[in-house]
Amino acid sequence: MADLSDLPGLSSDGFRESFVSSGSGLSNRSLRVAENVRKKGETNPFQLALNYLSNVQEGTVVRGNDELERNLVVVETVALRHGLSPDAISLLLDLALSLRAGGVNCLRILKFLIPASVVPQEAIVRCVSWLCVGKMTINAQVLFLRWVLTVFDLIDCKDQLRSIYGFIFSFVTEENLCPFICHLLYLLTMKEHVQPYRVRKLMDIQAKMGRQPFLMQLLAVFKVFRPELVTLSVPSRMKTGFKNYNSTWKAALSAVQKKNRAEVMADLRLSVELKGKSTSRKRKLHHLEVPGFSSAFDTDSERKVCCLQELRSFTQLLQNIHNIELPTQMGSLLGSSLALQYLDCVQDESAFLRLNFWLGHALQEEFLLCPEEGGSDSLSEASVFLSKILSSQQFLQEGFFSTESFLYKFLSVWDGSLLCSQILDLLSHIPLISSSYLRVLVFEPLIQLYFTSNVFFKCSIIECLNSMLHKWLTWQSVNPLDECIDLSVNTNNTVTMTLSGFIDAVTELVSFVGRLATEGLRLENCHILLLNHTLNFYETVCDMLVKYALPVVIMPPAGVFYPALLATDSLTVDRLGYIMYRYRTNLALAKKQEQKNENTFHISRTTYQDFNKQLVAMVNCLWNSKPFLPGTTSEIDVHLSKVPEYWSHFDLVHHPAFFKYAIEFHQKCWPERMCVDLASIKVGRYRSWYMEFLFCQGFDGLNDFIQVNTGQSSSSGSSSL
Amino acid sequence: MALLAPYSKIPEPNTATVLVSSQLRCVCVVLTPKHLFIATVNYQLAKFSGPSFRLVENEEKFQSKLADAIVKREKDVNVNVRLACRLPLPVENGETRPRVDLVVFIVNLLFERSLQVVENSLNHLSSDYFLGKVCFMVTDARCGALAQERLLSVKKLAASHRCPVICAEHQTEDGISMAASRLLTILKVSAGQSPLATTALYLSTLTRCTVPFELYED
Repeated sequence: MADLSDLPGLSSDGFRESFVSSGSGLSNRSLRVAENVRKKGETNPFQLALNYLSNVQEGTVVRGNDELERNLVVVETVALRHGLSPDAISLLLDLALSLRAGGVNCLRILKFLIPASVVPQEAIVRCVSWLCVGKMTINAQVLFLRWVLTVFDLIDCKDQLRSIYGFIFSFVTEENLCPFICHLLYLLTMKEHVQPYRVRKLMDIQAKMGRQPFLMQLLAVFKVFRPELVTLSVPSRMKTGFKNYNSTWKAALSAVQKKNRAEVMADLRLSVELKGKSTSRKRKLHHLEVPGFSSAFDTDSERKVCCLQELRSFTQLLQNIHNIELPTQMGSLLGSSLALQYLDCVQDESAFLRLNFWLGHALQEEFLLCPEEGGSDSLSEASVFLSKILSSQQFLQEGFFSTESFLYKFLSVWDGSLLCSQILDLLSHIPLISSSYLRVLVFEPLIQLYFTSNVFFKCSIIECLNSMLHKWLTWQSVNPLDECIDLSVNTNNTVTMTLSGFIDAVTELVSFVGRLATEGLRLENCHILLLNHTLNFYETVCDMLVKYALPVVIMPPAGVFYPALLATDSLTVDRLGYIMYRYRTNLALAKKQEQKNENTFHISRTTYQDFNKQLVAMVNCLWNSKPFLPGTTSEIDVHLSKVPEYWSHFDLVHHPAFFKYAIEFHQKCWPERMCVDLASIKVGRYRSWYMEFLFCQGFDGLNDFIQVNTGQSSSSGSSSL
Repeated sequence: MALLAPYSKIPEPNTATVLVSSQLRCVCVVLTPKHLFIATVNYQLAKFSGPSFRLVENEEKFQSKLADAIVKREKDVNVNVRLACRLPLPVENGETRPRVDLVVFIVNLLFERSLQVVENSLNHLSSDYFLGKVCFMVTDARCGALAQERLLSVKKLAASHRCPVICAEHQTEDGISMAASRLLTILKVSAGQSPLATTALYLSTLTRCTVPFELYED
């Protein structure tokens, strides 16, 4: 940074200077600059070059003008290395757009116009007036607009730009400029800008050009502000409509910003910083556009508005909640819990729309499509960023739809380890989508990752899907669906889903996990961890009717049921007992409901049959000691089985999971006996003592299961539904 | 032009071979003698035969890193990594080459050529390979819109051959080791080393790519 100090534009004095001058009139600007130069940097080649460039007059010969060329090169080098001060920016912009240095140089200057700190808005306003003159080529106009879009966040304040909204809007009819103008308008639009004649104009253009995404985005904002004016139906989840950022500028910009950050921060005294936010995201996330917010409704009067960043406490927020002005950079909302609270209770649609737009763009451009800077630096940055989104989503208790569509794209290129925990967390937050989309967007990519990964990844996938199901169910129980209801909290996010659609999605999810678990358990040799995660999932599934009033009962597939039943550890069997007990409770309730009124969704007959089959198998296995016998569903060919009396090897006494308890019990009962005869436990009162002993060990699930299904003492009572 | 066939040779006990190639720089660096044997381990029962495992890929660095990662990861079986830049393999050392259990095509999405080479190489594989013994690995998938388009065509190619597509982050250590472990999972099954009764064909029905449905194009 040492060599920066001799650049007047970047030294701290230069900044203060420029800030004073940016507020003053335009006419004396160049004078002051010149004076400044004379005072400070006679010998500084950069300053001399700027000086020279500011004096370039109309009609200067451009071709073969070595002096001009030399000075441009000097400025270009400095600009690309350190960025340009606000004054230099406005000077060069003026030079370029006035075409004093010729059309070719206009393009060239625009290309190296990298701001070191901020861009004065007067310069932009002046440039718009040059745009109105109409001398520039289309190329140059487009380039200029793209430049403005790229540096938009750096424009010091936007009130004057908003006041020339009409001028900017008039360019919308230019076919080549339209996408860029729409984007700019999108960023500038306030409620008072939405007028019937503008809407009409846009509709005309739309009729001419078709449903272009950029027009739709702009119309969506219009619709948010004045829904009565825009009758057009806007699709709920638009793909991001603007692709106007320029990556070379971006790259140069972020490089320069990274370099200058420390100094810039010190000089601009940005008062509120995002805590815990990595600093190189600062450009996009710096909290504020502190200087003067334009008041939204009346530019003349001094309406008292409160900026979010001025608020310090929740009480202040409550006192000012009616006249809060949102920051121009919506991304900054994510950083502050007050802002999120505001967002949550006000449900400002335009804020959501803009936040989503910004977020979608940030995720897409900065993360999804730019692995170039693949260092651990940018990774930790991304992980902090994603965690931030995650905590905001948890706070608001809903997902942003931009994150959602980012996730769908990301899943298809995911290697399964990059930012694994954040991605899976975010994934568990996705809102309900229809079952066909769910299959294509989420399940297809996941299934490939799942089956080529190790057991721990498999577990985390199941866990993620479990928490997804949990969230859906909770959501549904809080906002019960009737036949057709608006699922969205914001109307810009309208997904209408009927109860049957919801049930379809849930069924799809459950059967998907069933498939994953069945095959996964087989491939992993019934890994105990995977088995328990799967049972976790089914603990959620078995209680959907009782806990969440969702009339769905889905039984676990045999590939999950039998490994759990024949598992070698007692806890797994116990959990299976609990799950079967809950299934029974749920199905009983379903039956009762069905008898009461006809209209509810029916649980299908086959579900009852499946349940009965599993119940019988389980009771036969654990209680009656006759599993796998001929005639039952899980029959074993007698000729194949070489084990004598194989049917008795999985009852509660001989089951490998409970073997240890049986031995212990045996020793307690007959301490003097030398040889262990477990069969004697099954005789008479010893059996009920053994059961009591077993349930004292904490097998509550099993206890419930046995009590409900066998009536305790009887040995034959498998009562089916 | 010899077709590479999986069952033309008898598998060697307890070995595996990985072949990694670099098609962008030079065509001739085929079959570097990179038999990376792990000195195993007598307790391993002789019932295991070794999977041979080939990567056809274009970046030497990634290749060799991946090869190292694969070999270091696997402790039970001798994994033998070989590098190649393209198929067909040269005839000269065809005799000494071990049986190849899995062919991995590495496609760098930044280069159009990478995909073309893979497309051409596919013709030199015996159809038996497509019963679960081929897989695609793509790198640089998060690299701009062009890469996304190419990814789509890779997926279409893979779907038409019933092969899985694995995305790899080749710039980070974690990414490489994750890619290695995924390949090993497939390799073990396709070499018959998995302790469970699973065949390569069966696994490929679970993992194979399906043509993606484009909801959000951009």
